[in-house]
Amino acid sequence: MKTVIAILAAAFLLPGAARADVEEDPLRSVMWSSMVGILKGVSEGEIVFDDAVSVVAPAVAENQMEVPVTVNATKLAAVEKIVVVTDFNPIHHVLTYEPVDAAPYISFRVKVEQATPIRAAVLTKDGTWHVGGVLVDAAGGGCTAPALSRGRDDWVSHLAEVRAKIWRYADDRDARLRVKISHPMDTGLADGIPAFFMRTLEVKAPDQKILARLDIRQPVSEHPTFTLKPHLAMTADYLQLQGRDTDGNLVDVKVPAPHATSSSTLFH
Amino acid sequence: MLTRRDTLVGGLCALAFPHIEAALAAQLSYALSALEVAPNTYVVIGKREYFTMANGGDIVNVAFIDTQDGAVVIDTGSSKRYGLALRQLVERTVGKDIVRVYNTHHHPDHFLGNQAFDPSAIASTEQVSKNIKSEGEMLAENLYRLLGDWMRGTHAVAPSVVVAEGEEKFGGHRFELIELKGHTSSDLAILDKNTGILFAGDLAFLDRAPTTPHANLSDWQESLDALSKVPHKLLIPGHGDPDSEGRAIDQTRDYLAWLSKTFEQALNNGLDMTEVMSVPIPKRFESVALARKELERSVSHLYPRLEDRLLPYIGQGESQGL
Repeated sequence: MKTVIAILAAAFLLPGAARADVEEDPLRSVMWSSMVGILKGVSEGEIVFDDAVSVVAPAVAENQMEVPVTVNATKLAAVEKIVVVTDFNPIHHVLTYEPVDAAPYISFRVKVEQATPIRAAVLTKDGTWHVGGVLVDAAGGGCTAPALSRGRDDWVSHLAEVRAKIWRYADDRDARLRVKISHPMDTGLADGIPAFFMRTLEVKAPDQKILARLDIRQPVSEHPTFTLKPHLAMTADYLQLQGRDTDGNLVDVKVPAPHATSSSTLFH
Repeated sequence: MLTRRDTLVGGLCALAFPHIEAALAAQLSYALSALEVAPNTYVVIGKREYFTMANGGDIVNVAFIDTQDGAVVIDTGSSKRYGLALRQLVERTVGKDIVRVYNTHHHPDHFLGNQAFDPSAIASTEQVSKNIKSEGEMLAENLYRLLGDWMRGTHAVAPSVVVAEGEEKFGGHRFELIELKGHTSSDLAILDKNTGILFAGDLAFLDRAPTTPHANLSDWQESLDALSKVPHKLLIPGHGDPDSEGRAIDQTRDYLAWLSKTFEQALNNGLDMTEVMSVPIPKRFESVALARKELERSVSHLYPRLEDRLLPYIGQGESQGL
C-alpha cells in the first residue's frame, strides 16, 4: 500500500515520470518510461527491479566504443529472455539473449554515445520482467563515430572471421564459450556509412539442439565478443555457431570442446 | 589562498550572479613549488592522482635545470594555465631565459602547457611531434571534460624542434637524449651527464600505477631493461617521488610483468573483460596509488588486442559477394 501511495504521489509530483504500474527507477533516468515501452513491446507483464539480476560494467567508460558488460541472472529460475537496453544511446536496444539450454549469463561489449544506464531486463516464465542495471559515465561519441575497421583497407578480407574457445569443467554442467567475430558493426549513424552488423548468432549442440540464441543490434561493439555458458553434454565434442549479418553473410563454424578441467583453474 | 568557506560563498554568488563565475575562474591557480634535488636541478612533484577538478591536472612531475645559458625545462603539464604557472616558477627560481623545453611523450599531462613557452624552444622526437599533431587536440578535449575551467584557452602545440638520439649542450650541461618506446610509440628519457640525474618520463612510475592507453608491454619492458643500464645517481619518474635506489624501474618492471602475465592467464582461463577488471591485486602493489583504476583502464586498452592474438582462429564466414 505504501508503495502504491508513493508511486501515485510521484506520478502527481513529476508529470510523466512514471506509469502507475511500474516501480520508480533506482537509476532515476528520464528515459526509463521509454525503456518500459520497449519491454512492454516484447512482453506485457509486471516489471520489477531485482537485485538478483547483476549487471557489471566499469563506472567510467575508458573506451566508449567498447564498454565491457556482464549480465548474470543465474539467481533466477526459468529465464526465457535477457533484453539489454541503454537509455541514452540513439539506438536503445543492444541485444536479446535467449539462454534456451544455457545459464542466464552473458558478457558482451557495447558502444555508448554518452553517460547512460545499461540495463538488463530478464523475462522469466511467469511473465515477470526482472530489471537490473548500472550507470556508466562516458566522454561521448561511441555510436556515431565510424568503426575502426573503416580506417583499414583489409577489413573485408577478415569479415566474419571467428575466434572461439570452449572451457569445460568436471564439476559444472555450464561450459564456458568465448567467441569473437570480425565485423565492423556499423550503426548507420556515422556519416555516409549504412548500417551493417551481425544480426543473429545461435549456439547448437552436435544433435542440432539450440542451446542459446542471440538477437544482436547496432550498439554491440565492433568485432562482437561474447562469453556464454551453454549446457554441454559430456558426450558432445563440439559446439556449432551459426549466424548472419544484415547483408546475409553467414557464419557457420564448429568449435571443438576440450576435455573437462577443474573450475578451480579460474581466478575465483 | 582560497579557503573552503570562500569557495562556498563564491559558489552561492555564482548561482545568483552568473557573471561572477568568470571572476571566480581567475582564482583557479596551481600552487607549484620547486624541489631542489641537486645543485641547480629542480623538480615540481605532481600528486599521485588521476585528473580531477580538485587537482586541476597537477598530477605529473616536471623538471628544470638552471644552466649558465638559461633554463632547460622537461615537460610542461596538463594545461595552458599550468604551463604559465610553471614558466613563472622557472623564471623566478632561475632568473634567466628558457633555452630549451623538452616533451618526453605525447600524453596530455606532459605537453599541454606548451602554449606558455616560446615555440622555437620546444623539442621532442619526430614521433612525439607527429603524435601530438594527430592526437593532441583529441587528448586536450578529453581533459576539458575532466578538468573544466582549469583548461580554459588550452590547445595542443606540437614541438617545432626535432631531436634524435644523441647529445644536446646548454650552458655547460650535457644532456644525453635516449629515445625508447613502450609507454607510447616514442618515449624520450634524458640523462644530465653533469649531475647523473635521469629524467625517465613515464617509462618509470613510482608508487603510482603505470598507465597504458598507448602501451606496448613488451617494448616497455625492454626499454626499462635499457634504462636500468644507464648509469645514474637519481631517477625522476613521470609520476612519484625522485628515486635514488632503483625502486621506480624495478616497481614499474614488476607491475608490467604482473599485468602481462595476469592478462595471458585470464585469457587462457576464459575470463572476459569485466572479470579481469576484478582480479585480486598483489599485496606488494598496495603502496601503488590507483592500482585498481589503472588495472580497469589497462583491461580496456590491452585485453581485446590479446584476444585477437590468443583466442584460437576457428574459421571464416561465407561472404555473399561483398
